[in-house]
Amino acid sequence: MRGIFHLARAYLVIALRERLTLFWFLVFPLFLLALLAAIFGNVGQTTSLTFDIAVVNLDQGRAGRVDFGALVAGAFRELSQPGASGKEPLFKLHEPGSGDVDTAAYLASEIEALKVGKRDAVVEIPAGFSDALLKAAEASTGSALPAEIGVHTSGGRTSSDMALGIIEQVLVRVDRHILTQLGLFDGARVVVVGRQEVGSENRTLGYVDFLLPGVVIMGFFVAGLFSVPGTILLGREDRILRAYWVTPLDVPRFLAGFSLGHLGLCTLQFACVWLLGRFAFGAHVNLFQPLPMLYLVLSVVTFLALGFLVAALARTANAGMAIANIVNMPMMFLGGLFYPTGSVPPALRVIMMANPVTYLADGLRASVGVSPALFPVAASLGVPCAWIVGCAIVASLRLKWDVGR
Amino acid sequence: MEPAVLMRVSNLVKHYGDVHAVDDVSFSVPKAEVFTLLGPNGAGKTTTLEILEGIREADSGSIEIFGQQLRHIDRATKERIGVLLQEGNFEPYLKVREVLRLFASFFRSPRSPDEMLRAISLEEKANALVKTLSGGQKQRLAIGVALINDPELVFLDEPTTGLDPQARRNIWSIVSGLTASGKTIILTTHYMEEAETLSQRVCIMDHGKVIAQGSPRELTARLGQETIIDFVAAEDSVLPEALSSCCKIVRGEGGLVSVKTNDLVATLGRLLDWSRASGVPLAEMAVRQPNLEDVFLSLTGRRLRT
Repeated sequence: MRGIFHLARAYLVIALRERLTLFWFLVFPLFLLALLAAIFGNVGQTTSLTFDIAVVNLDQGRAGRVDFGALVAGAFRELSQPGASGKEPLFKLHEPGSGDVDTAAYLASEIEALKVGKRDAVVEIPAGFSDALLKAAEASTGSALPAEIGVHTSGGRTSSDMALGIIEQVLVRVDRHILTQLGLFDGARVVVVGRQEVGSENRTLGYVDFLLPGVVIMGFFVAGLFSVPGTILLGREDRILRAYWVTPLDVPRFLAGFSLGHLGLCTLQFACVWLLGRFAFGAHVNLFQPLPMLYLVLSVVTFLALGFLVAALARTANAGMAIANIVNMPMMFLGGLFYPTGSVPPALRVIMMANPVTYLADGLRASVGVSPALFPVAASLGVPCAWIVGCAIVASLRLKWDVGR
Repeated sequence: MEPAVLMRVSNLVKHYGDVHAVDDVSFSVPKAEVFTLLGPNGAGKTTTLEILEGIREADSGSIEIFGQQLRHIDRATKERIGVLLQEGNFEPYLKVREVLRLFASFFRSPRSPDEMLRAISLEEKANALVKTLSGGQKQRLAIGVALINDPELVFLDEPTTGLDPQARRNIWSIVSGLTASGKTIILTTHYMEEAETLSQRVCIMDHGKVIAQGSPRELTARLGQETIIDFVAAEDSVLPEALSSCCKIVRGEGGLVSVKTNDLVATLGRLLDWSRASGVPLAEMAVRQPNLEDVFLSLTGRRLRT
């Protein structure tokens, strides 16, 4: 055990003394976070996102007359269909299913989902909405109809704010349609949209909160992809590893020490990135919870395994760096680290869907509530685990620990 | 009385495709002696040593070490051996003391790194990064690492290759100190002088085979009572015929001529007469007793450093 800890310490010390490693491990992630947060800090991160909303219709309509609640819900349903050219729909819609008898309970559950970041907004069509509209039409008085549609949003969350803006536009159109049907069209008379902010665990989350988990994962990714094969292959070429093999230290113990050192370095990297994000850019995202921490550790291990895979496939250190460079770009930029994956062209979706970075970034962000989950938790954890197993199998079969061994 | 044997190697074989890197090699290493594998580059010395160190596996043959027959060098055996690799390296961004501490942590009962720093005279460089050390200092550090577990058996694979004469003598001094403290050393070298200076027993290898074994004195004695006269002459110069009939003449690179004779006075007289008559100077002439280089030359027809 002593040897394992000494190896881990040596790995850390070497990385901190070597300027190139230090740059890629610490300076680059910090620089990237600072750059992106400074440039895009005030820009909504969800301009091309499909908004995750729920529409809960509590209105029963009025017998023999138009069911205006259904009309409003239908408008949102229409906008949740993919475009003719395969374009992403505007909304990912959640509605009560046929089994959801208790619509009020469904509404409550959707508001809870909104609070933890799984929904961008919840549209509530209140009971008696149709009645209220018809009464107003019959009375034909007043400048505003007393019917009100509630939109629940998560205050301070950019995606929620943007969803509200779009929902309001949709409701204005529906409103005109309704008024035209009732023969009461008047530009000044609109259905009132009542905004209700719900309590959120992430009330002040912004772009930097979206960015921070991505930069943390990118740091782990670069560290694993470049540092691991670099250390192994150069160590093999320069006969540094050979000096270990003539001692009682064996490959499993070496791996334990190496991995522990790598984990330590990633922890240091994470601490620096988090501190910069928290105190320089006001990030509030809470990564110190069990599920986010699980994603962080899983990310380190996944990219460590990926690094061993590269080392196993390359004959020389130069070849290893070439492979890492080839793999780096598509995996990093098609993993949704810096922008939502919804904007990835369909032709590149295959890479995105096979990319462990996609699942780790999505899982981590969803677990802290900065964006809705694209994949179930099982997929976000399972796909990286499958990568770890696959990399470990290939590395154990192919990786040579000594020249000519 | 025969000295106790610490290691016995029998019929060791290692092939790489059609290349017989180690071909039926057998030898015994007595305890508390320096045993040297001597041979030119490619003779199979390092491959033999790497099998004994546990880096490579033999195709066949047996190794008895510390009284135990082993197929592979196991962890327990590694606790008792120390290895200086031919092309071993250390992390360039670790400091000298950190390297010793790191390697000490791999063993159950290591020596103190500070004690080892003194033993290899690197106390002043304790906090220097490995990458800043000179070749000789790096080699001393490598010896320190090889000795950090206070091993009973030490493998030194070409410990002075590439070092300047001063650094080489420093290493020799360390090796002599080790033998004085009762360590058993297996050394490989292609420097004849190193083998003669340090070894009690020499095993000469060529093309993967052992071609001669014994103490340096025993090996040179095989050449009889010959004396050797070396000199440098023009490569196209024609030596007197009278010499060919009484002496063995070997012409080497750079015009080096070695004349082996049992009658030094008569041969010297003939050579001087020939030089005067032909006008060919006997440049750099030296008279010496045979050494291991001559033994190798007589066995293979080639010089060691070719």
